[in-house]
Amino acid sequence: MSTRWYPIYQKGNPQLRVFLPNFWMKLVRPEGRQQPSKVTFHCSIEMTKHDVKNYIEKIYNVPVVDVKTRIAMGKFRKDIGKGYIVKDDDVKFAYVTLPKTMKFDFPNIFEKKKGDGDDDMKSLDEAKKSFKNYIERNKDRSDVPSWFSI
Amino acid sequence: MRLLRINGTFPKLRKLICRRYAQAIQAEENEYTETPVYPPILDMSLQARKLRERETIHKKIENINTVEEKQIALNMPRYYGWQCVILHDDKVPYNALPLVQHYTRTSFKNIDKLPDIYTQSSSVADSVVQEIKPYIEECIAIENEGVEHNIVTSVHKPEQQQIENAKTRNIVKQINRIISNNLTDKVSHILSSQVDYDPRHEAFWFIGGVDVPNNVVNWRKKFKWLKDRAHEPLDRPVQYLGSPLLTIRNQLPLKPVIPYSEAENPEFKVPVYSCVPETVGYYSNYRHGTNIPGFWPGDFDEFGMLSYHGRGHLLDRSESYGAEDNLEALHCQAIKASFGWLLAQANYKGFTTYNDLTYPLVTQTVITNGHLMSFYVYQLNTITMHSDKVDNNPKYNICFGTKPLALYDSIENGKVKGLNEDVLKMLVQFYLNAPEERDHEMAPFLGKEEQIIADIEDDNRRCWLESTYKHIVSNRPKHLLPPELYLWEKIYKIKFNTRFFEAKRKPFEFDINPFNRRLDDHLPPYIPKVLRPYPRSKKKFETTYYPKV
Repeated sequence: MSTRWYPIYQKGNPQLRVFLPNFWMKLVRPEGRQQPSKVTFHCSIEMTKHDVKNYIEKIYNVPVVDVKTRIAMGKFRKDIGKGYIVKDDDVKFAYVTLPKTMKFDFPNIFEKKKGDGDDDMKSLDEAKKSFKNYIERNKDRSDVPSWFSI
Repeated sequence: MRLLRINGTFPKLRKLICRRYAQAIQAEENEYTETPVYPPILDMSLQARKLRERETIHKKIENINTVEEKQIALNMPRYYGWQCVILHDDKVPYNALPLVQHYTRTSFKNIDKLPDIYTQSSSVADSVVQEIKPYIEECIAIENEGVEHNIVTSVHKPEQQQIENAKTRNIVKQINRIISNNLTDKVSHILSSQVDYDPRHEAFWFIGGVDVPNNVVNWRKKFKWLKDRAHEPLDRPVQYLGSPLLTIRNQLPLKPVIPYSEAENPEFKVPVYSCVPETVGYYSNYRHGTNIPGFWPGDFDEFGMLSYHGRGHLLDRSESYGAEDNLEALHCQAIKASFGWLLAQANYKGFTTYNDLTYPLVTQTVITNGHLMSFYVYQLNTITMHSDKVDNNPKYNICFGTKPLALYDSIENGKVKGLNEDVLKMLVQFYLNAPEERDHEMAPFLGKEEQIIADIEDDNRRCWLESTYKHIVSNRPKHLLPPELYLWEKIYKIKFNTRFFEAKRKPFEFDINPFNRRLDDHLPPYIPKVLRPYPRSKKKFETTYYPKV
């Protein structure tokens, strides 16, 4: 269900379709250690426990035993340049319990593949070398900008 | 005039005593010995010094004479009470068994029939069952269909649960009456036992091995000397609160189910459960730690024999938890209730969460709704599990428990059909389990003459301790509530120092944590001038008798 207001139903085509509902859930890494069958989400403030349960069960087909929600206050910070204090938006946390036989590990999204690091180092070395060459070439005219050359 | 004279001579008298004392020491001590005597070499690292500090406090609590003073001593460090993890006997979240087992250091064994010590009472129980069977059938039929009780429910608990427990309470009262009436002339311990209805059971202890909460880690990370100690283990205070339907207690303790040496058997080892309790569904609250086994110190019948608990809370658990978890919830309830009751009894014998038991204690627990009954036998072997002892204490507690067994099949036309004699026999065997005198000292950490404050002869001290103990244990809010931190102060004074020009008045502006206040950190009651002793007394405040820990 969405919380947007829609125009009254009219017969005929084209019909209004919902592409981006207001209900969203975002899987987040838990703050501390917790039971392996628990999953932490951020979700839309308007979602209730029942909404969270239906969302996970109906869309993703994952059995849910229990849902606990809480609303965490947004952070306070000083506005850069202005100096006054502003507050970020509140976040609703949903702690979802799966059956105890199930286990959930937070996926390692930014996994480094083998050889990734080597390529990075190689290009860094090349950049360093070319910069050295450039300094070497222009050591007699240090005050001339880099674009001023033949 | 006479008073003046005594005052005048007093300094001289004191000097005289002091000098004598010093001389006596000097005469005994010889500066030179044949072999050099060195003081022990102590580890002077921070951890070791802190450990020694804690151990001296534990030693001081051990040396206190009376039960009530020990209980006050446990609460001495906190004026507003400990932030306790509250374990209610009738609130069991999903998948709580590992946590409950670690918090009570209990190994759980599923059994189908009662442990071996019950075999000797088997033949007597059989004959008793045949005698009481018609009465039990009649009482179950009448309580279920013959009487309509007017049940008054409160708004503090779910209604379904209260109604079921109220019905169970009536049946349990009747069953207890029938069995004890039948047994009084057969076995001697039943007549001398005390029966309590809805007693108050509370127990308090410290548990180690639990993760440090996030807010504590974040607080520690703010200080550079605490940065590498951010995850240093922390004791979590735990408070059990429960109320059985009916309990029976006796002057003597029950026999151990397994020998005390078996408590160190590695097969009973329970894994450490280190997730913070909030992730499981247990929450904490500020309160003074209390240990109450349903009676005040000084009662003669101070060993539990049997307790009945309701299982109405299962009705209010979500259906999605499933039958398997409901069974585990019953085990959790039994472990919490048995451990809590025995721990409170142990506290009345002078043992605390810092001074371990020297002998095992046993209790029997029945969880029932009048139809289904599950039987548990619990042996308490150890009660120290704070963070210094949680890893190196070899002892574990043991709980034997059955599945819920049906006492009868159904009730038709006001008659009970298919009464299960085996279940009734188990219950009778619990009653037949006779308490025994033990041949060891029961209260090694209590004084010889003063064991409870009622034994104290000094009237002022006794009355003061009595009223203070009862006040602490009542857990009423303090007369002045703890200072409040408003959100605007948190934003504009703590997070961002935008009001630096204002006068500092609140505790947080002086870096004072009001929750670290000690129990004795208050002005004693003022004595008005007219009430002070004649002719002249400088004593403005009344004396307090807090234990010195």
